[in-house]
Amino acid sequence: MRICQIIGRVTLNVSDPSYRGGRWLLANPLDPGQLGGACGGMQPVTKQFTLVAYDSLGAGPGDVVGIVEGAEAMAPFDFSIPIDAITVAIFDTIHYQPVSPDAARPVHQA
Amino acid sequence: MIHCLVVGHAVSMHCHPSLAGRKMLLCQPLDANKAPSGAPLVAVDCFGAGLHSEVFVSTDGIGARHLVHDNKSPVRHFIQGVID
Repeated sequence: MRICQIIGRVTLNVSDPSYRGGRWLLANPLDPGQLGGACGGMQPVTKQFTLVAYDSLGAGPGDVVGIVEGAEAMAPFDFSIPIDAITVAIFDTIHYQPVSPDAARPVHQA
Repeated sequence: MIHCLVVGHAVSMHCHPSLAGRKMLLCQPLDANKAPSGAPLVAVDCFGAGLHSEVFVSTDGIGARHLVHDNKSPVRHFIQGVID
């Protein structure tokens, strides 16, 4: 599950019949440096590849969501639908504490 | 399986029903020299991996669906084991 920020919506004109009633969001993956204050407000858009993800949770611009890609994105559906990215969770808080490189990591001798 | 370091956790009130009550940890993939490589992933945890512990994260959706006991769950990454 990748952590992305919703930056917009997409409306389809002509699409696959199984897409009827679907909601599509523009999800921009966040950089590791932005994860600390991720759910505070709109973050600057990163240079990473922006995805168009199917949405069934009702996320809006500025929300930080978890996007699952691949064949697992089709799992929630009873009918076959050609999608490969879906929103799975809307995050309220993200606690990010990376180990600083100079922190002495406890080495467990067997 | 991806060798990862747990670097945090995420809290979500509004998610897919199969993830309700599940612990979601931020896992930073590591390369061969245990240096961070790439962006952190969010993985479902059932083994109680603590902060800054090294874990194996699996990307197999079928195993993840068995883990959360829901055949319609879109979850993909889950923690398979905590490395001693």
